[in-house]
Amino acid sequence: MKPHVHDPVEVLVIGSGFAGSTMAAELAEAGFDVLTLEAGPERRLRDMVSSQIWARRLKWAGPPVVEEGDLVGAANFGMGWGTGGAALHWYANWYRFHEDDFKERTLFGRGLDWPIDYEDLRPYYDRAQVYVGVSGDLSQDPWAPPGDPYPMPGLPEFPQSAAIRRGFEALGVPTAPNPVAVNSERYQNRPPCIFDGWCDAGCPIGALANPLVLQWPKALRAGARLEHDAYVTKVTTDASGRRATGAEYRDAQGNLRFQPADLVIVACHTIWNSRLLLLSASAAHPDGLANGSGMVGHHFMSHPIVTIYGLFKEPTRPYVGILGANLLSQEGYDNKEPAPGAFGSRSFQAGQAAKPNDLLGWALAQPDLYGQALDDYLRKASEHFGNMTVLCEETSVFENRIELDPGETDAYRLPAAKVVNNIPEQNAIRLELARTEGLAIFHAADTSKLWASGRNPEHLLGGTVMGDDPDRSVTNAYGQTHEVDNLFVAGASLFPTSAAVNPTATLTALALRTADYLRHQRAALLP
Amino acid sequence: MTNRRAHGGSRRSLSAVEDRAEPTSRRAFLARAGVGVAALGVAGCVSPAGLAAAHGRPPKRLRVLSKGEAATYGTWCDVLAIGAAKAGVAFFVDKYLAEPFPDSLLLIRYLQNPPFTDFYLGGIAGIDQESEARYSKPFVTLDDARKKSVVEAAVTSSTIAWTTPNPNFFYFVSRSDAVDVVYGTVAGFRDLRIPYLPHIRPRQPW
Repeated sequence: MKPHVHDPVEVLVIGSGFAGSTMAAELAEAGFDVLTLEAGPERRLRDMVSSQIWARRLKWAGPPVVEEGDLVGAANFGMGWGTGGAALHWYANWYRFHEDDFKERTLFGRGLDWPIDYEDLRPYYDRAQVYVGVSGDLSQDPWAPPGDPYPMPGLPEFPQSAAIRRGFEALGVPTAPNPVAVNSERYQNRPPCIFDGWCDAGCPIGALANPLVLQWPKALRAGARLEHDAYVTKVTTDASGRRATGAEYRDAQGNLRFQPADLVIVACHTIWNSRLLLLSASAAHPDGLANGSGMVGHHFMSHPIVTIYGLFKEPTRPYVGILGANLLSQEGYDNKEPAPGAFGSRSFQAGQAAKPNDLLGWALAQPDLYGQALDDYLRKASEHFGNMTVLCEETSVFENRIELDPGETDAYRLPAAKVVNNIPEQNAIRLELARTEGLAIFHAADTSKLWASGRNPEHLLGGTVMGDDPDRSVTNAYGQTHEVDNLFVAGASLFPTSAAVNPTATLTALALRTADYLRHQRAALLP
Repeated sequence: MTNRRAHGGSRRSLSAVEDRAEPTSRRAFLARAGVGVAALGVAGCVSPAGLAAAHGRPPKRLRVLSKGEAATYGTWCDVLAIGAAKAGVAFFVDKYLAEPFPDSLLLIRYLQNPPFTDFYLGGIAGIDQESEARYSKPFVTLDDARKKSVVEAAVTSSTIAWTTPNPNFFYFVSRSDAVDVVYGTVAGFRDLRIPYLPHIRPRQPW
């Protein structure tokens, strides 16, 4: 089938999530001619209906992901579908990687090193928090690496966090207001948060930064274009394989189209960045585009988490607040070897708002209760529930990977993505230590009941890791693939390590840094 | 963990923020939430089953489940969350099994890839399979104690006849469906005496 060929563009961005939309906005404002192709439908603020039931429509509805291993299961809940991708329903936790997170191979003999260190990314972290709008209080945060103060004061403390904080205090463990990309006051014409706890359903007022209110208005005002229901199936190159020429995609009716471009940026969610490169195999790239090293798909990571739950004697009003944490402790974060056999950093993220139903609701926190016992518990929990995520690190190992699974295909008979992820033993031991720590905190916080979840995965990282060595990485420090100069990757798929913090601050900083690079390299990269 | 003195520093309380909130937005919003809860206290308690009847307007016909399957699923879910049958749990599942996957409102979409119909039909058949094996009767005809014993077998992964889909996983998913329709709606929040606090109020519960 011959595709319909469009007029060429200078920059083609594939994916409209946080990374893709940031790239589109930055490059359009710099005068590039930018087109973004988004596989999902157009989303509008009115789609953000305050309901955990209706919110499910914002989640992944694309081709299936096959998952195998003991740290999988985050894909369908964590990813998004449509304009803004996962950033339409993210919880805005905002953290910088710590200095040691960038040099784990050198310092600990594990995982990988980044090709940059904290000081290279620091100015972009500083820019990113102003760009997005972050509320926090560095004066109360002894663990944050050096950087500018947050542009807005921290959010107030909610009753749930106050109850949990007393547990930390009783054990002498410091806490700080959790930094979040949520407005504590009016910021850049976006109102402050009203703490209704519906973040998972999206924030239509824009108090929580999301691409519909932040990046896409900027990009579109600067002349960028965004096409929806555009499912990219292949990035193409010239016959030599050394230059990307554009992308093939299917439109809403299934017609095959070709979008020529001078520069291609693959900015899908983590799994799809690897899958698209693998699907883009050709004579010049027989193992997948930019995969001469065999590294595409490898070094996939997730964050192993355990959730600590409690029923507090005092009222906690858990339905009020934000779904991002309200209280943070990173005490001991930089001790990556806290006990024999254990490895990895750990963050305590406490006081997330919750609703009765859905995956993160207080009903599913006690899955074995039903009938009258469930009803009794729900009524008690409605005023006394508290929860805390204990988030740990997963060391980057080659064997954890994204690959193509020909046994499962999409609507166009292209192989599905398969994620294989098994938690390294040292990280599993570290998580169990963290569980014990978390339960001790809740025990000290005067709970009438406390318990912990099993191990769960959160966030999807790696697969197109950046590095200095073309034999051990897919891209350089700017996300530029080693083998194809005008092909870039953006997003958390670039991460060589996971750290023990949420990824959005770092992927945004990287996107701003790459956009700067592209502005300076424009003459060299564009014909 | 180190035994350090807790870090100093103050933090605004929610009430301090409410005092300074913008009058047209945040303060009014939170005040409405507070008044709503107080008003419920004046109105008195309402039973879950009673509110469940007022939760939504279920579709008028089934498209995927047979009447018998819907009755079994509703009866099963009623054990899991009181009032689920009257709240329309079978119609909720039936409707979204018939809709295209991107429009699905079922929690199972987070846990496995579509299609989901075989999972639900298999689970409903498994319920009756277990009921017949234990009591030689369909599930809908069992008394409350026997219904509960079948549920408990799924909870504890100790079913004697039902093997697929995994009974414990089916319990988990169906319990979520039941919780959704009973407690996860505007009416459900009212019944739990918690403010709904919508940005955009759902036009219908599901």
